Amino acid sequence: MTNEILRVENVSKAFAGVKALDQVSLTLQEGEILCLVGENGSGKSTMIKIISGVYHPDQGDIIINGHSYKQLTPIESMREGVQVIYQDFSLFPNLSVAENLVINEQLSSGRRLVNWKETYKTAERGLEEIHVSIPLDAMVSELSTADRQLIAVTKAILAEARIIIMDEPTTALTQKEIQSLFEVINNLKAKGISTIFVSHKLNEVTEIADRTVIFRNGRKVMDQDAKNLDIKTMEFYMTGHELDLDNSQLAQPDQQAAPLLEVEKLGLRGKFKDVSFQLRPGEVLGITGLLGSGRTELALALFGETPADSGTIRVEGREVTIRSIQDAMRNRIGYVPEDRILEGLFLQQTISDNIIVRIIDQMVNKIHLIRAGASKKVSDEWIGRLEVKTPSGELPAKSLSGGNQQRLVLAKWLASDPRILILNSPTVGVDVGSKASIHELIRNLASQGMGILLISDDIPELMQTCNRLILMRRGRTFGVFDREDITEEQLNQEMVADRVFSI
Amino acid sequence: MLKKIVKSSEFVTFTIIVLLSLIIGIINPAFFSLATVFDVLRASIVVSIMAFGLLLVIIAGGIDISFVAFAALASYGTHMFLLSRGYNGGIFLYYAIACVIGLGAGLLSGLIVTRFNLPIFDVSLAMMTMWYGFIRFFIGSTKNFKLPEGAVGYYSRFLVTVRDPFVGEAGLHFSILYVLIIGVLIHCLLKYTTLGRGIFAMGGNREVAIRSGFNIKGTLLVVFGILGVLSAFAGVTHSFLSRHFEPTLFMTQNLDVIAAVILGGASVTGGKGSVLGTFMGVILIQLINRAMVLTGITVEWQQLMIGLVLAFFISIPAIRDLINKRASRAVEVPEEI
Repeated sequence: MTNEILRVENVSKAFAGVKALDQVSLTLQEGEILCLVGENGSGKSTMIKIISGVYHPDQGDIIINGHSYKQLTPIESMREGVQVIYQDFSLFPNLSVAENLVINEQLSSGRRLVNWKETYKTAERGLEEIHVSIPLDAMVSELSTADRQLIAVTKAILAEARIIIMDEPTTALTQKEIQSLFEVINNLKAKGISTIFVSHKLNEVTEIADRTVIFRNGRKVMDQDAKNLDIKTMEFYMTGHELDLDNSQLAQPDQQAAPLLEVEKLGLRGKFKDVSFQLRPGEVLGITGLLGSGRTELALALFGETPADSGTIRVEGREVTIRSIQDAMRNRIGYVPEDRILEGLFLQQTISDNIIVRIIDQMVNKIHLIRAGASKKVSDEWIGRLEVKTPSGELPAKSLSGGNQQRLVLAKWLASDPRILILNSPTVGVDVGSKASIHELIRNLASQGMGILLISDDIPELMQTCNRLILMRRGRTFGVFDREDITEEQLNQEMVADRVFSI
Repeated sequence: MLKKIVKSSEFVTFTIIVLLSLIIGIINPAFFSLATVFDVLRASIVVSIMAFGLLLVIIAGGIDISFVAFAALASYGTHMFLLSRGYNGGIFLYYAIACVIGLGAGLLSGLIVTRFNLPIFDVSLAMMTMWYGFIRFFIGSTKNFKLPEGAVGYYSRFLVTVRDPFVGEAGLHFSILYVLIIGVLIHCLLKYTTLGRGIFAMGGNREVAIRSGFNIKGTLLVVFGILGVLSAFAGVTHSFLSRHFEPTLFMTQNLDVIAAVILGGASVTGGKGSVLGTFMGVILIQLINRAMVLTGITVEWQQLMIGLVLAFFISIPAIRDLINKRASRAVEVPEEI
């Protein structure tokens, strides 16, 4: 296992004068699993695109299988066995598994006719290579994200990949699915196929990596064997400073103040039952539990998307009925959804339009036209306050990176000045640096008197931001804990205990 | 396997056809006869041929409404041209010239779409209006009933005839063979050629299709070429079956053809559809039209019926979803252990 398959030498690349990569070198051995780690904008994606031939470096060489390239093209890169699995997997939802697997080969061979028998045979052989079984005649649209990913991996193998690059492959996977993906990656390793695994989930990196490379601001800041590397060290290299995990700044809510939100025996048939709690101004209340424990359904009920069918909700002492999102908004309840792309943003619209969409009524003049000045003022204010990284609020929301999109969703809700904010897994898919600043933001909002419901299964996150925690299991509140009274380990055990029950 | 068939949208269309036939048959037993079958088939010939062409566009992810104008241009243009030359021969030359005209009109649309990267619907809206205007301004604006001698008996050339107690002699027109041949060809194109799979691929995910290396523009040109040729073919066939040529042929019928393709299980958003389904969609629409006559319901109800069936049909996926949701809701929260 000492055959070097890829060497990137002193590569630099600048976009409009901004250095995305600065004198970076990289090597990859046959059968090696290399983890590429870094915050958003650290140059990871640029590096992938240079290896796959999409970008040409301004300087430096790429050597694959001993062939040196100054200007690598995508075709040459593929011919050398480089296959990139992008986050969208590049599959056709309306075609069968078998066809998706074989379609690239069909095209590159230049054949005009389709031999279905051959197609199925090849597809089956491909799936056997990675020891998975997925029905070949199923439509890709019917498959889970995890299965789609396996199809994408198989497709790469069928294209005779020697180097497979996976860009944030675990973002949408469950714990179990991540484990089987890792099995597949180890399988590839045994066949001598190298993997470049791009991620910012550090616990996964420690689990899968042979070697870890960390980028920061376009430079390689660390490159070492993964064996004696802990998460703290990685975080240090990624951010360039020790992350501030001090809990002392957690504001204490005023215990005397009247509760902002009181929920009593709330229930929704088949989803959750008998949920009761109080939320005070300035308090961050964590709601946790495994997927399917009812945590998300509870949030959606409070936000009126799928209204509860029993129990009462009181906002600032007044009993209210929340049957729709409009009801929730009238009571100044805001919700930041889990899947920011699907539920939270109008990706084609500009950043500032996204910010003002909830308060558009306040932005209009007498004849109901939008006052451009007012909307710009508000959106610029929020872009500044939440540190959304963008040159202009007039760019489309899709131009932002994942972490910044998440901030934009927050900005959108904060602009409407909610009293109660429900956050559903606010830091999923966000790198550690942005995560820390989102946590700080949550604490800040609470200290200004907002009541926050934080739904998450990220235990360290809960411990760093919440005053109290509610553990949900199978649609019921299983326990309420003050943060001081419980440790990460205990909480972890409580959650795992549920897993044992649910088998 | 059986489950797959039952779940397919073709099966739904087929079921609706069967149920509708039973209902009509119970109200009016005269419906159950070979004469009815022949009649429905005859009425389906022209629409099917156009629908097969349109099917390709819809699978590729577009909607075209100008194909009816291609049909009018090709049939009426060819007829007026040959008439002025004193042509008195058979029908073959009609088909040959019309198909060339249809191919040209189709390719023109295709070129505009691919060259300027425009939405198919927008282009077809412009082309439809343009071609009908062109016909009436440059070719003629009145119906013409003069047929060439070589084609006079064409409308009653039957494959088989039966004696029917209600309508006397009834025959199956031989041009149903065209539908069969064209249908098989289009089916094979879609299923067994790289080009056909490319049509599905671009309808399913255009970006990925481009990234995978499909020649999107070339594929679209072929699709429009076929649409043009088939529309022209249908236009000529219709004119001979109805024994007259008209400048505004099919002018208001494009939506019926689109409805048939969608009833046949094609998805308006692209990537889905089949020849067999489309043919059944056409049959279903013709059946509804016949049903009105045979059960004595007035013509005004036809459109209402077609609309209702269509509304029901396109709601099926949503209804399925709803049923699944209900089923999952019915599960009570388990009691605590």
